[in-house]
Amino acid sequence: MASHQLSNHVRKYRKRSALSQRDVAYLLGVKSGSKVCRYERFTREPGFSTALAYEAIFQVAVSELFPGLYQRIEAGVRARAKRLMGRKCNGKPRRDSIRRRQTLAAIACVDFEQESTPE
Amino acid sequence: MNDRRKKHVRVLGIVASSRGIGFAVMEGKNILVDWGVKTVKGDKNARSLSNVGNLIDHYMPDAIALENTRSKGSRRRLRVQALTEEIVGLAESEHIKVKRFSRKQLNLAFIADRPGTKYALAEHLAARFPHELGLRLPPKRKCGMNEDCRMDIFDAVALAAHFLRSRGQN
Repeated sequence: MASHQLSNHVRKYRKRSALSQRDVAYLLGVKSGSKVCRYERFTREPGFSTALAYEAIFQVAVSELFPGLYQRIEAGVRARAKRLMGRKCNGKPRRDSIRRRQTLAAIACVDFEQESTPE
Repeated sequence: MNDRRKKHVRVLGIVASSRGIGFAVMEGKNILVDWGVKTVKGDKNARSLSNVGNLIDHYMPDAIALENTRSKGSRRRLRVQALTEEIVGLAESEHIKVKRFSRKQLNLAFIADRPGTKYALAEHLAARFPHELGLRLPPKRKCGMNEDCRMDIFDAVALAAHFLRSRGQN
C-alpha cells in the first residue's frame, strides 16, 4: 500500500490541546461537534474561514494542519504552472519575461536553466 | 523535492487488552498522528475487530505492529490471543504488513537501563512525546489497583515506535 498524506491532522492537534470536539465547534463558531467530527473523519473538507479558524485555534499553519488537502492543491498548481510555461508569449518578449519564467519554474519545481534558452 | 512530499511509513500499533484495544498511529520521524483506547462490551473480539477495521479504513497504514502473544513469558489470556490472530488475519486480507514484538524486545529497546516495568516504559514515552502523552500518563499503580486503561495507549505507541526504529525511520 502506497503511503499518502493524511487529509488533515486536526484530531491530533485537538487531542494535544486537550479540547473536546464541542469545544472546537464553539471556537469555530459552528452549532455542534458533529461538523468537527466530520472534518476529523475526512468526510468533509473545511471552507477557507474554517481552515483559518483552525490555524488560529492550534497556532499551526494551514498547510501543516491539512497536509493531504494542501498536497492535492499544490499538485494542481504545479501542473498548471508547467502548462503555463509551455505557452508561448504573443508578440515581442518583454523585459520581465525571464522573471516570469523563473517564477513559474519555481512553482512547477522545474530547473530554470534547462527550460530557458540561451540569449 | 520538499519535505512535505517525502513518503513516510505509517504504522498502526495495536494492543488487545481485557477492556478492548489501545491504538497508536505513527508516521516516520517521530510523528504521533493519533492515539487512544477503544473500550468494548459484549462480544469483545468481534467489536474490537470491527474497531480495528475502522482504524485501517481511516488511516490506511502501511504496517501494523502487534504484541507477540506467543512469545515465551507472555501471559495473555486465550481470548486476547485469539483476537490478536484475528487482527493478523484481517491485516493480511488487506495486504498490510504485520510485525509482532514481545514485551522483552520493547523493554530492551526503550528502557534497557531501567527496571522493565510497564510504568517505566510509559514514563519514557511520556517524556518522549510530552505534548501528546504527557497528560495521559496515569498515576503509578499501587497494590489492589487495577491497571489503568490508558496504559494500553503507551503499549501501542511503544509497538509503533519500535517498528519505525527497527526500520530506521527514527
